[in-house]
Amino acid sequence: MIIEDERGLRENITTYFTGDGNICESCNTLQSAMDKLVMYEYDCILLDIGLQDGEGFAILDYLKSKKKSESVIIISARNSLDDRIKGLDLGADDYITKPFHLAELKARVMAVLRRKMGSSNGMLTFNEISIDLQGRAVTVNDQHIILTRKEYEMLLYFIANKGKVISKTALAEHLWGDEMDMHNHFDFIYTHIKNLRRKLLDANGRDYLTSIYGIGYKFKAE
Amino acid sequence: MKLAVLYNRTNLVITVTLLIIAAVIYFFAINYIARTQLDNDLSEEVAEVVDYVSTYHKLPKQVDFDEDQTVFIKTNQKSISPRFFDTTYVNAKEKEDEPGRAVETLIRVNDDYYKVIITVSRESTEYLLQFIGIITLGLMIGLLLTQFLANRYFLNGLWKPFYGLLHQIKGFNISEADSFKITNKRVDEFTDLGAAVDNMSARVRTDYQHLKNLTDNASHEMLTPLAVITSKLDTLIQHEQLPSEIYEQIEDIYAATRKLSRLNQTLLLLTKIENNLIVDHESINLKTLLGQKIKQFHELILAKQIAVFELLDSKEIVASKYLMDILLNNLISNAIWHNNDHGKLAITLDSEKMVFQNTGIPTELNQETVFERFKKGSKSEGTGLGLALVENICKFYGWKISYEYKDELHSFMIVF
Repeated sequence: MIIEDERGLRENITTYFTGDGNICESCNTLQSAMDKLVMYEYDCILLDIGLQDGEGFAILDYLKSKKKSESVIIISARNSLDDRIKGLDLGADDYITKPFHLAELKARVMAVLRRKMGSSNGMLTFNEISIDLQGRAVTVNDQHIILTRKEYEMLLYFIANKGKVISKTALAEHLWGDEMDMHNHFDFIYTHIKNLRRKLLDANGRDYLTSIYGIGYKFKAE
Repeated sequence: MKLAVLYNRTNLVITVTLLIIAAVIYFFAINYIARTQLDNDLSEEVAEVVDYVSTYHKLPKQVDFDEDQTVFIKTNQKSISPRFFDTTYVNAKEKEDEPGRAVETLIRVNDDYYKVIITVSRESTEYLLQFIGIITLGLMIGLLLTQFLANRYFLNGLWKPFYGLLHQIKGFNISEADSFKITNKRVDEFTDLGAAVDNMSARVRTDYQHLKNLTDNASHEMLTPLAVITSKLDTLIQHEQLPSEIYEQIEDIYAATRKLSRLNQTLLLLTKIENNLIVDHESINLKTLLGQKIKQFHELILAKQIAVFELLDSKEIVASKYLMDILLNNLISNAIWHNNDHGKLAITLDSEKMVFQNTGIPTELNQETVFERFKKGSKSEGTGLGLALVENICKFYGWKISYEYKDELHSFMIVF
């Protein structure tokens, strides 16, 4: 469920997530969100803190008091440490600051859901690729391949956003964080992508990665 | 100059001058009174002599009446106006000369004229004068001393609330909510001052709070549209049939959006630092942190084939990890970004200082403006806030940062 009062953002997030076969509901006020939470169960809630009729923290309080199991990712424009700590203390699973890329949000949601459900075996499987999340080991067709840390992170990111075009900017932000200037990094991305693709192909994997007009990359969903 | 010193000095000059003038006037007045008294006594003596002569028609014996010495000298002068004058009094008993006062007049006995000179000792009068002089001097010194001590202890005590208030004003922190207090309410002016300062600070704090809220809200309001733009772009590129020129445009919009959000975050952080709102201080080993940072920039360093020289001693500091990350990120990324291919980067750390030296453009940067906001090199793609941020962080921790260009190396030095 998406709780966000900015219409444009709410619609885009919904579209991005539904395209993947997920079922998304969205609401724009604290009250309507509460009404829905009473009636239905959700896997994950995307929660904006600054809502028109109150602070999103109220949702967290409610979930905690009812011992509900929904995962919560806070979306906030406030990058203050206090808010972050408060949110995480109240039981939120992650905290993402605006502006963010949809791909990044998707990757965070997938990570949170994996932690929630997949903690039993810790394996993520996509067609012939399977990833041991605890051991950070990747096998393709039962053949073990060695990836660098950046390539591994990239693979997870791509799988979380399979079938989507991911911009280079989003990818660079994911890999190098917020702190560094981005311009030099596009070349590195190219190198990393090239290496990752080669390693997957070497293990007789399918060719999932395609470059899109110099703006980004796409990891095919089939 | 301190008010008390200035006040004391003025006071001292005025008092001393006044006392000296008063002493002079006093001296002459007493002198005048004493002399008049002596002259009156002498006149009486003369009257006695005249009485004696008119009664007995002969001169009295030339003996000393009381302490007076009377001398009769026969003279041919027919008239002589009586006059008083200072002279020497010969004390026969003590065999010494004393200051004396004498009167000279003419007296007629039968048909002879005699000049009469009566001399009295002035010693007792002189003695009185001296005595009065000493008392006056003692009084003067006593007065000055009292005034000095009074100023020192009483006046200082009187000014105490003022200095207390001044101390509080010096320690004024706009983000803390403590109010100003006057410890002693005896002096109305100081109480008024305290109230006025308190009032003013409260107003300033309210204004500041408003401004902070505005900045906070502005940041929120700006970031949400930015998030909308980003998400729209992310959605837009999902249509894979767009012509490639459109993708180029989108790429530029991405870059601009990103820059805008970085600018926004950096400005917020600058405001935060300038207002002392950073509170998460912890102990950090700079050597370890620098090592991590260099590793983090490994790819960039490799890409430009920069030779890195590290000369790192262990150095513990207490600071915010967040700010240190930003500080080092900025300095290192500057040193790499503005470096030449195959250039050099030397990082030195010891207990006193941290120095970043790098090769780059062969001209010196402007010392005065290098740390200013929005001053950046023509090649720079950054926000122009990086070094301003670095300077502010250093200032926040009381470190000194300086730039110099020497031996083809641009160097930024932080002295702890």
